[in-house]
Amino acid sequence: MLALDIHDLTMRFDGLDAPVLAIDRLHVKAGSRVAVTGASGSGKSTLVHLLTGLERPKAGSIRWGGSDLGRLSTGRRDAFRARNIGLVMQDFHLFPGLSALENVLLPVRLGWRMTPDMRKRALALLDITGIARAGQPVETLSRGEMQRVAVARALLLKPSVIIADEPTASLDRRAGEDVSALLVRLAGEEGATLIVVTHDPALLTRLDRHIHLDGGRIVEDVRGEAAR
Amino acid sequence: MIGFILADLRRFKGGALAVVVLIALSLALSVTVTLQERALRLGSARAAEKFDLVVGAAGSETQLALSAVFLQPAPLPLMSGSVLADLASDPRVAFAAPVGFGDSASGHPVVGTTTALIEALSPKLAQGALFAHLGDAVVGSDVGMPIGGQIKPMHGDGESGGPVHTELAYTVRGRMAPTGTAWDRAILVPIRAVWQLHGMHGGGDDHDEDDDDHHPDDEGAQAGDATAAGPVAGAAQDKAPGLADAGGDRDHEGHAHHHHGHVDGNAPIDEHFDAQTPGIPAVLVKPRTIADAYKLRQHYRGDTTLAIFPAEVLTRLYATLGDARSLLLAIAIATQGIVLAAVLMVTIMHVGARQRQIGALRAFGAPRYSVVAIVWGELILLFLLGAVLGVALGYAAARLISGSVAARTAVHMPIEFAPQDLRLLLGFLLASMLISLLPALLALRHSPAQALRA
Ligand SMILES: Nc1ncnc2c1ncn2[C@@H]1O[C@H](COP(=O)(O)OP(=O)(O)O)[C@@H](O)[C@H]1O
Ligand SMILES: [Mg+2]
Repeated sequence: MLALDIHDLTMRFDGLDAPVLAIDRLHVKAGSRVAVTGASGSGKSTLVHLLTGLERPKAGSIRWGGSDLGRLSTGRRDAFRARNIGLVMQDFHLFPGLSALENVLLPVRLGWRMTPDMRKRALALLDITGIARAGQPVETLSRGEMQRVAVARALLLKPSVIIADEPTASLDRRAGEDVSALLVRLAGEEGATLIVVTHDPALLTRLDRHIHLDGGRIVEDVRGEAAR
Repeated sequence: MIGFILADLRRFKGGALAVVVLIALSLALSVTVTLQERALRLGSARAAEKFDLVVGAAGSETQLALSAVFLQPAPLPLMSGSVLADLASDPRVAFAAPVGFGDSASGHPVVGTTTALIEALSPKLAQGALFAHLGDAVVGSDVGMPIGGQIKPMHGDGESGGPVHTELAYTVRGRMAPTGTAWDRAILVPIRAVWQLHGMHGGGDDHDEDDDDHHPDDEGAQAGDATAAGPVAGAAQDKAPGLADAGGDRDHEGHAHHHHGHVDGNAPIDEHFDAQTPGIPAVLVKPRTIADAYKLRQHYRGDTTLAIFPAEVLTRLYATLGDARSLLLAIAIATQGIVLAAVLMVTIMHVGARQRQIGALRAFGAPRYSVVAIVWGELILLFLLGAVLGVALGYAAARLISGSVAARTAVHMPIEFAPQDLRLLLGFLLASMLISLLPALLALRHSPAQALRA
C-alpha cells in the first residue's frame, strides 16, 4: 500500500507548446480508490504513463511512498513498476499463443521470479476472476474474460498500487460491470491503492474520489460522494 | 522464457520456417563445397595410394597419373618393352606390372596386366581365381559379369563404337574384392592377350604390319562375328592357323607366339618379360622401400621415360584446383552473408512491427534483459535449426554427389567431417549470435509508453 504525492509536475511532448499535463499538487492516500475523468486528449493516459514510470516527467516529482519516479533510471522504473504496480489497459495486451495461466505468469517468468507459490496464486486468481479453464488459449476467450485475465495478471505480485486505463471501455455493459466489480473488490481485499481512468458510470460509482482533467490540469477533485 | 519463444515462433510459423530454410540452404552450400572438395582429395589419394610409382613413356605426367589411377581413356605414348624387363629384374622392385589400355567391353575398360597387380589390388579375390590362360579375365567388384561369363573386347572406349575384336573372347575367372578405386570397374586380362589382339609381338617393333591389315579384317568380319553367339574359344581355334599349333603352345613356355591377329585363349599366360617385350604405355611399380621409390623415380626420369608418384601428381593437380575451391567457398560464404543480411532485415522489420507487443512485455513487468533475450533467443533458435538442417542438407548433397561419382567411376569419395569444420560452424554460429544482438537491442529503443498508445 503506497501513497502518491505529485509536486509541480509538467509533461510536454516535443512539438507541442502547451504542456500535456500540469499538476501542481496531488496527494492520494494509500489504499484509496480514485477515478480520473476528462475529455479525450485531456492527458489521462499521459498521467497513467507517468504514474507507472513508463514515462519520465520533464519537471516535478512523482513519489510513491519514498521513491521519486522522476529520479529513477529506466531500468529502476521498470523494476519499481514490476514490483509495486499492477497495470490494466483498455485493450488487455495479452499474448496470443499462450494460455490464460501462462499469460498471468508471463511477467514473473520473464523476470525469473517464478516460484511454485506463484503458480498457485495465479490459479487462485483465475478462479476468483471466473476463468474456468486456466489452460485455455487466451485468444479463444471472450473480451470480458480477457480483461479478467489481465486483472489476474495485474494482481499476481500483490502490488501496492493498481492502475487501470479505461479498463471497461472496450467491453459490453455486462462484462464491464463484472470487471469493475472485480477490480474494486480485489483492490480492496489486497489493500492496494486503486487509480482508474474511466467514464463508465458503473465503475465511477464504486470509486470514492473523482479527479477531472481538462487540458492537462485538474479542474475538479471530488471526494467521498461515490459508493454512498 | 523458452515457452514464450516457442509460442511466439508457432505464431509466426511460416516466416520462421522461411528463415530457417534460407539459413539452411546457404549453409548447405558451404558444407557441400567443403565436404566434396575433401572427398575428391581423400578419394583420389586413396585411389592413388595403391600405385606408388608409375613409369611411362615421356609425355604428360598428369595424363599418366590420371590414366593409371582413374583408368581415364586417353592415348598414351608407348615406351619400349625393355623398360618392363629392366624393372621386373630390378632388386629394388617388389613387383612391376605392365598395363595396356585401349579396349573396353560393355563400357568397362579392359586393361591388360599381370597377376601381380591383381594380387596387389585385391590380395584375396572375392570370387574365383586369377587368370592362368590368355583367354581368362578377372573383373573388378563393380563389373556385373558372372564368373564364367564371356567378354568380347571392343577397340576403343566403347562410346565411339570401335570394332569388336573377334579373335578372342575372354572368360571371367575371378572377381576382385572392392578397392574403392576406378579399378573396381575394370576388366583385367593378361597383357599378352592384349598385345596379341593388337598384333604386337615380341621383337621390339611396336606396331608391325599385322596391325594395319588386321583392322580392316575386323571390320569386314564384324557383321558376321559380332552377332555369332557360338562358343568363342572354338571360334578362336577355328581361326587359328592350325589346331595342333595351338595345342602345342599350352605345353611349352614359349615367349614367341606366331599367331597373326588370332589369339589362342587356352594358351597359358607367361609373365616373364625380356628386352623383346612389346611396347607398353605404363608400368605400375611397387618399390621395396621409400628410398628405392625415390631412386627408381630418379632413374626412370629421362628423355624416353617418365616416372611419377601418382599421389604427388594428383596433389599438385588439386593445388591448382584449390583455387577453384576457394572461389566456390567464397561464393558460398558471400551467400551466407547475403542471407544473414536478409534475415537481419526481416527480423528488424518484424521487431518493428511488434513494437506494441514488446513494449507491453516491459510495461507489464518483464525486465529489459528478458526482452533482449527473447528476440535474441528466437533468432538464435532459428539459426541453430538452420545450421542443423543446413549441415544435414549439405552432407546429404555431398553424399549424393559422391554416390553418383562412384557409380560412374567406381572411385570411392569418402564424405567425412574434419575438426576444422567444427571451427567453421562455430564461426557461423558466433557470427549469427553477434548479428542477432542488433535487432534484440533495437527492440529496447522503442518506448513502452508509445507501444501502449499504438
Ligand atoms: N508521444 C507524443 N507526442 C506528442 N503528443 C502526444 C504524445 N502522446 C500523447 N500526446 C498528446 O498528448 C495529449 C494527451 O494525450 P493522452 O494522455 O493520451 O489523452 P487521453 O488519454 O486523455 O485521451 C494528446 O493531445 C495527445 O495527442
Ligand atoms: Mg487515453
